[in-house]
This record gives sequence, structure tokens and C-alpha cells, in this order.
Amino acid sequence: MVPDLDPVIHAAARLKVTATLAALPDGDRISFPRVQKLLGMTAGNLSVHVRKLEDAGYVDVVKKHEGRTPATYLSLTRTGRRALEDYTAALRQLLGAP
Amino acid sequence: MSSDDARLAGSGGATDPATEQDLAPAELLALVEAEQARTSAALEPDARLIYGCWGLAWLLGFGSLYLARAEIGPVELAPSVAGLVFFGLLVAAMVITGMHMSRRFAGVRGVSTRIGAMYGWAWVLGFSTYAAILTGAGRAGVDEPVLGLLWSTGSGLVVGLLYVAGGALWQDWIQYGLGAWILVASAAGALAGTPGVYLVMSLAGGGGFLLAAAFFVLRPLGRSGSAGAAT
Repeated sequence: MVPDLDPVIHAAARLKVTATLAALPDGDRISFPRVQKLLGMTAGNLSVHVRKLEDAGYVDVVKKHEGRTPATYLSLTRTGRRALEDYTAALRQLLGAP
Repeated sequence: MSSDDARLAGSGGATDPATEQDLAPAELLALVEAEQARTSAALEPDARLIYGCWGLAWLLGFGSLYLARAEIGPVELAPSVAGLVFFGLLVAAMVITGMHMSRRFAGVRGVSTRIGAMYGWAWVLGFSTYAAILTGAGRAGVDEPVLGLLWSTGSGLVVGLLYVAGGALWQDWIQYGLGAWILVASAAGALAGTPGVYLVMSLAGGGGFLLAAAFFVLRPLGRSGSAGAAT
């Protein structure tokens, strides 16, 4: 049986965002501009995808004030981390890995 | 790919299967692995740079201190000049390390940066305490050659212990091994006496750092570098 691929992350841009956030150790957050720089995405494009991931419960978005400047921090939720694991497991299954 | 992204962004959550057909499962898997490797590499300190700059600072700094006191070599080096060279190299290595760390950790908050800050302050606390101990020893009448022996090998003790602790904390065998090696070199240097201690710290200590840097230069990078990595 062909496994279903999670439609939320089965899109190259969201898959990249999820994979990037999964590279952070549990308990760490990363600023929106740093993710933007790491992925080479525009702010508009990234925020669209982040919103979709947030709606799915995969990404936690925290808005803070550092001094006077507002800062947005992203992190993968436990659900998001598991979704990526399930997704890569499904891909491996498609590739015929045991 | 960017036009696909834009289309997906407007497609209201449902994935249009046509947009992803150009990426096979193997390519998607490679993309996940490449992104994770790339992000980890971008957020971790570069061991080649850190060990490399401290290795050079020790090799050349302690080396010039040795040459100034051993009265060998083609040029005569005044101890004050050698001291300045050593100090300048240490400051340069500190600035390079600080700038590099803050660049790598920029925008990251949480457990790992808290651990990093606590560990970083351990260095400041350790060396401040040791500087105070040496000042006290100087005031108590300990003379210059003995002080030289104490500050060089004592610094090796602080560095070695912190590397051993850091290696244990981050499960990093290279860091742990380098720390242990620096402890051994400092012990050997202390037993060698002045001016031999400076030669030991230069060649064994600095050499140890440079070997650790060489390990990371020669180690093949764990990046797949295939599909999706070049965006």
C-alpha cells in the first residue's frame, strides 16, 4: 500500500522550513529573520508558509519584545517533529526500504 | 521552484499533486537531509576556525616567549616584545572566537544558548580567579621565572579542564581529547621548568589545537549536497 504523504509538509518550501527547524535541539527557538536568511526566502513567502505550519500545529510562533523592537521566534512543536519523522518514514517506505 | 511555492501558498492548504511531481521520494528525502545538515552546520561553531586560531596563538605566542628566553635563533627577541606578541595573539584569538560565536548563535534562544552562556562565563570566572591568584603570588614575592611557569601551565590547567568538561557535556571526543592533551602538556611543561615550559606549551599545546583543527579540515563533511541543496 502506498502511504499517504502529509499534505502540510508535502510542499518543498514548507518541507524545508520544517527540516530547518527540526535541526534545532528541542527547547530552542530561532528568530524569523535568521530562518529567512538560512533558507533564502522572502519575509512574505516565509510568513505564508509559517502560518500554514502554525495552523496545523506544527510550528510554535512566539512574539517577544527585545527592548523596543518586536521579535518573532519559531520552533517546531512535538507534533511538527513527529509529522516530519512520519513523513520521512513514509518516503523511505515508498523507496522500498525495510 | 519559487513559482511552485507561490502557487502552493495560494492553494489554501490542499496540495496540488502536480506541483510536487517533479520531486521523487528520493529527492524529497535528500532535501530534508540536506536542509538539516546545512542548518546544523550554520548554527554550530566552526571547530576548524576556533581550534585553528588558538593553535596559532599558542604556537607563535609561546614560541616567541621561548625564543626570547632561550637565547637561540637567528634574531634576538626582547622578552618585552615577546610578551607583547603573545598578548596580541591572545587578544586576536579571543576577538575572533567571540565574533564567530555571536554570529553562529545569532537569533537562537533557548536551552542551548543558555548552556553556551553558562559555559562561556565559566571561562571568564576561571581566568579572572587565576589572574587574582597570580597577582597575589607576585605580591607575596614569587619571582618572575616562577610566575612565568605558574601562569603558563596554570592557564593550561584552566583550558584543559574546561575542554574536558565541555567534551563531556556535548559528548565531543575531540574536545575531550584536546583538553586531556593540554592537561598532559601543562604537566610536562611544569616539570620542564623555564624556559623549556614555553617550548612545550608552544609545540605540544599549540600543536594539539592545530591537530584538532586538522581533524575537522580533513573530515569529510556530512552534507549530501544533492537535490534541493542548491536553492
